[in-house]
Amino acid sequence: MGRTSAYFQADWFGPAVISVLAVLVIGLIDRAFISPAALDVLILAVALNGMIVLSQMVVIAIGQMNLSVGGIGGLAAISFAGLMQVQGLPPVAAAAIALLIGVAAGLFNGWLIATTGISAFVITLASLSLFKGINLGITSAQPFYEIPAVVKAFGSEALFDMLPFLSLPTIVIAFALMVLLTRMPLGRNILAVGANPGAVALTGVSLKWTVIAAHVISGFLAAAAGVMAVARLQIGLPTIGDDWLLLSFAAPVIGGAVLSGGHVSVGATLWGVAIVAIITQALVLFKIDPYLVQAVLGLLILWAVGINRWREVRARKGEGKL
Amino acid sequence: MFNHSAFRSILAAGVVAIASSGAIAALDTKVGIVPGGPHPYFSAWGPSGKDASRDFKLGAADYKVPAKWELGEQNLLLESMVSQGYNAFIIFPGDSVGSVSTVADLVGHGAQVIAAGGCFKDPSKALFCLGTDTGNSAYLGTKELLKVMKGSKRILHLTGFMVDPNTQLRIDGVRKAAQEGGGTVVQVIADIDAPEAAAEKIGAFMAARAGEIDGIIATAWVPAVQAANSLRKLGDKRIRMVAIDHDEVVIKAIKDGFVDGTMLQNPYGQAYVGAYALDRLRHGCTVKADAPWKSNALTARFIDSGTAYVDAAKAGNFVGAMQEITKGLLNSFEATYLNCKK
Repeated sequence: MGRTSAYFQADWFGPAVISVLAVLVIGLIDRAFISPAALDVLILAVALNGMIVLSQMVVIAIGQMNLSVGGIGGLAAISFAGLMQVQGLPPVAAAAIALLIGVAAGLFNGWLIATTGISAFVITLASLSLFKGINLGITSAQPFYEIPAVVKAFGSEALFDMLPFLSLPTIVIAFALMVLLTRMPLGRNILAVGANPGAVALTGVSLKWTVIAAHVISGFLAAAAGVMAVARLQIGLPTIGDDWLLLSFAAPVIGGAVLSGGHVSVGATLWGVAIVAIITQALVLFKIDPYLVQAVLGLLILWAVGINRWREVRARKGEGKL
Repeated sequence: MFNHSAFRSILAAGVVAIASSGAIAALDTKVGIVPGGPHPYFSAWGPSGKDASRDFKLGAADYKVPAKWELGEQNLLLESMVSQGYNAFIIFPGDSVGSVSTVADLVGHGAQVIAAGGCFKDPSKALFCLGTDTGNSAYLGTKELLKVMKGSKRILHLTGFMVDPNTQLRIDGVRKAAQEGGGTVVQVIADIDAPEAAAEKIGAFMAARAGEIDGIIATAWVPAVQAANSLRKLGDKRIRMVAIDHDEVVIKAIKDGFVDGTMLQNPYGQAYVGAYALDRLRHGCTVKADAPWKSNALTARFIDSGTAYVDAAKAGNFVGAMQEITKGLLNSFEATYLNCKK
């Protein structure tokens, strides 16, 4: 197989081409879309949404879903902001505790799913309500306002005036996940459990601990997204996370993830995030009627997913697999 | 920093004198104060309920928040509160139409129900709706914005949930004021009550189109906060802005000159006066059929809970403005809207 063909068949290729073409075409129509300030907003959106989506992608890899991604992220966000405002903790300590909360929430989800055999859908649906309830119990639906300047700067400023600081955690985590899923036993076990749990069990790999590990990683990443959201929004709102669910599934699917598990791609998923962000921001710039925005967004996501699927089918036909 | 306790104390002190004169022993009244879901707009309802409970000697006036903005979540909460003995409810409808049957169930259990913040769609068993005249507030806010805009008057309108019927009223109110004042609404960005979506869409617009507008009118809480932050980040005071509500970020932006003013609503007064009214209704008063009801797209029994414009000169004492609104509403409420045996 030639290098060109390999690129064409790579999961990330289709979403990457669509993203780049979309930016170029929209940029040609309206130069403002590719202004440095607009690209900065686009990168910020991809950075935050990327972390949210990677949190879901890890659980999709084992053939499950985590409906509580937003609940965990919201709880971590208000914990991070609340610990700084009420307890006076420095940002690093508050962030560490918020991330630990995410790990604990993921452990709770994973342990319940692995030990009870109840579906992840049901468990995480219930835990979503639990985490949100704790969030509201702590905040009484009131925001935390006293976000330290260093956190605000992290959420709004850029390294060498080029790369937003907020994108750094997402870049680091994306590389770590790529290494985990392609080079490390745990990552390979996660994908194997998603592809064929029965076969994995026969090899002596612990299904239980693999499922728990995937949910712990998911909880950690959701919490990281919550901390990043506080930096980005410069306020600890209790509604952080409420709007994450659709995006968290849309981007991995656009990136070619198999919802039944066993196949995900970090790169393709992040390009999927970029497609959603480009669509969202283009709709604003093109002054689409606000009543139609949701419908147009849904149609365009379907279109992008369709293109990706068409590319996949065509590639397989070329190989004679279909 | 905006201190919620201090805010509550100051506001309560202003109205307690009036309240105490009309208070009767009403410990059997247990008021449930339930928003449609978590939102900072309702943060004043909690302390307001506590103050009403103390001032009117109620059995309780408790603020309970559904975990999500879903009708089912709100219904579950309301049912559980009925079983706990709550017999009067102040509700922001989770769905103006879908919640009507829930109100009928509550009334069937002997409870009194009023809507606050938003209304149920007529016909319903709710006694009345106490809320902001949202269309008028948006209209007045836009008028204030037009006053401070120099030269061309191109306006960006930021607003909230598209499923909220108030949103269309706000869009209409802004358009009407703009037309009357020689302005143009160049774009409406809606459905940005989620903070992440608000930051992304407002950021995208400001990055690409800031030069094409001269003013911003925000008619929902979260967009107002994010737009105030965006203008502060840009550091450009050319673009004028009028916001809504009293979030700390908005008030500080007014003081610092990034935002010109804000249209205060009166969530504190809605829950405070609402609890008072429910207690009176449970003790022999009835709703006046011929009261000077206002009407909106949902109900013909609407009471405006009041609105006020706060600019930089008044931002230091915006609590005083809310206090005045609540005082005025409570002072005249019984005589205007209720028939009570002397």
